[in-house]
Amino acid sequence: MTVENLSKTYRHHQREPGLGGSVRSLFRRQSLERVAVDRVSFSIEAGEIVGFLGPNGAGKTTTLKMLCGLLFPSAGQVSVLGFTPFQRQAAFLERIALVMGQKTMLAWDIPAMETLLLQRDMYGLSRAEFKASLGELTELLDVGPLLQVQVRKLSLGERMKMELLAALLHRPDVLFLDEPTIGLDVLSQQRVRDFLRDLNRERGTTILLTSHYMDDIEALCRRVMVIDRGQLYFDGELAALVERLAPMKQVQALYAEAVPVEQARLELDGLTPRQDDDLRRIRVAAPRDRVVEVAACLLRLGPAIDLTVEEAPVEEIVRDLFRERRRTEVEP
Amino acid sequence: MTWRVLRRMIAMDIMQNLEYRGAFLLYMVGLLATPVISLLVWLAVSAGSHGLPFDRQQFVTYYLLLSVTSMVTSVWLGPWVAENIRLGGLSPWLLRPAPYILNQIANNVGEKIVKLPLLVPLVALLGFAFRGDVHLPTDPWAWLLFTLCLPLSASVAFLLDFTLGSLAFWVHDVRGLLRVKYLLSGFLAGQFVPLELFPPALRGVLDVQPFRYTLSFPLEVVTGSLTRTQVLQGFLWQIGYCVALWAVYRVEWHFGLRAYGAAGA
Repeated sequence: MTVENLSKTYRHHQREPGLGGSVRSLFRRQSLERVAVDRVSFSIEAGEIVGFLGPNGAGKTTTLKMLCGLLFPSAGQVSVLGFTPFQRQAAFLERIALVMGQKTMLAWDIPAMETLLLQRDMYGLSRAEFKASLGELTELLDVGPLLQVQVRKLSLGERMKMELLAALLHRPDVLFLDEPTIGLDVLSQQRVRDFLRDLNRERGTTILLTSHYMDDIEALCRRVMVIDRGQLYFDGELAALVERLAPMKQVQALYAEAVPVEQARLELDGLTPRQDDDLRRIRVAAPRDRVVEVAACLLRLGPAIDLTVEEAPVEEIVRDLFRERRRTEVEP
Repeated sequence: MTWRVLRRMIAMDIMQNLEYRGAFLLYMVGLLATPVISLLVWLAVSAGSHGLPFDRQQFVTYYLLLSVTSMVTSVWLGPWVAENIRLGGLSPWLLRPAPYILNQIANNVGEKIVKLPLLVPLVALLGFAFRGDVHLPTDPWAWLLFTLCLPLSASVAFLLDFTLGSLAFWVHDVRGLLRVKYLLSGFLAGQFVPLELFPPALRGVLDVQPFRYTLSFPLEVVTGSLTRTQVLQGFLWQIGYCVALWAVYRVEWHFGLRAYGAAGA
């Protein structure tokens, strides 16, 4: 999958608020343009799982929609599996799938099995292929008894599993996921993540997913792309993003009895060890290359009963990143 | 493969529609209301005036046949197509290797398969109420032509609605346009007034406008009010409208998909 200078601009009308604005807009409309995706370039190898991160309106979903052929790009080149997505050739559509957390492809009033049979006919699967794929996915997703239940009677989590089943029945080579765990409880989120990991490992499916849940990204993606205001801000390993944005780690020691923090302050030049009120816990925010030195120093202070080294939570890091970007844009 | 997909879609639509059979019965009663009211009005008019080209028996037969024909050629897809385009409901269909129009065809055919068996007893009741005035044609040739004509009429009606609904690619709200179309259709298709009752000066225009071929033309064919040449010309107009509207659909969708915003996630 290769993307070069991909852009998408939406046109819309600006209207003043209220009834008066509505009436005036009948006669005079101001046409505006909004750049949703701005010259984005990247490539994804077969078999990769890549996470797409960004705040609301960053351009993640718009990019995803251009990659699967739903949206016509305003500029740039896209090639997925050697096809130009927007041409929507049958040979291309038969090798991709998009699962959208907020849009359904299942017929609402009848059991999901009927939609699956339609998928079989649409993708030209033989009975044997259908049976094998259905059996495998039903087992992985643990949805066997639900196939004959009306879709509208399924819970949100069950429906999402059925959406995945319907989307994957034809064994796509590339899977696009837009908020696949939105609205699911913690247990269902975990099951969907496990399923996607197995799918990637066993079928070699290339997966590109957007999610607001950092847990999804952390659990599945080694590589992430961060997009904000339509521009690609970062493309690389998740660990590298964390290191770049949060160079400090938190080293913390818990002691059996009170220890003197002054000793640590003397030894750890340039760092600021902080001690809790009960004098039994000391915390130090340390650069990655001084973590070992800090840990050794803390262990020398007294009889330690626990020592932890923690990353700042990824969710916090990313939130801070976008907040910081907004702040620097506002300030001159 | 397309036929297999279409058959599957139709079966799914029938299954979904059977979920709402109670609502359909009410819909049927509503559908019969227009021809029955029109019939009663025209019977009152014909009783008090002379010189109308239609007599009482012709009115009864016309509206009885119209009640079934209008069901076969009826369409309701325009607003759905427009809503799917505007709100992004099109997206799940665009991602699959089957054209979206196939789904709408299946919905149209599937609903009619469910609705027709419900409609026929109601029409039979209507026929029984006016049994002295019903004179159904006896010429098998007329019925054969009528049967050939119906799918073409349904196709013209379907494509008219589909192409109008598809304007939602560019126009934010096509509901107004569709309302005007449904109103025009009531008059120009021969639903409120048989086209033969319009002033002769208008016949030239009325004969070639597309709404005639969605409803009035099959009725004119079966009631034997047309010459052979007029029947042949009518068939050619129907086929011409089908081809032209299909071309409009293809052009609309070729450019429309470039403007599609795929709203929502």
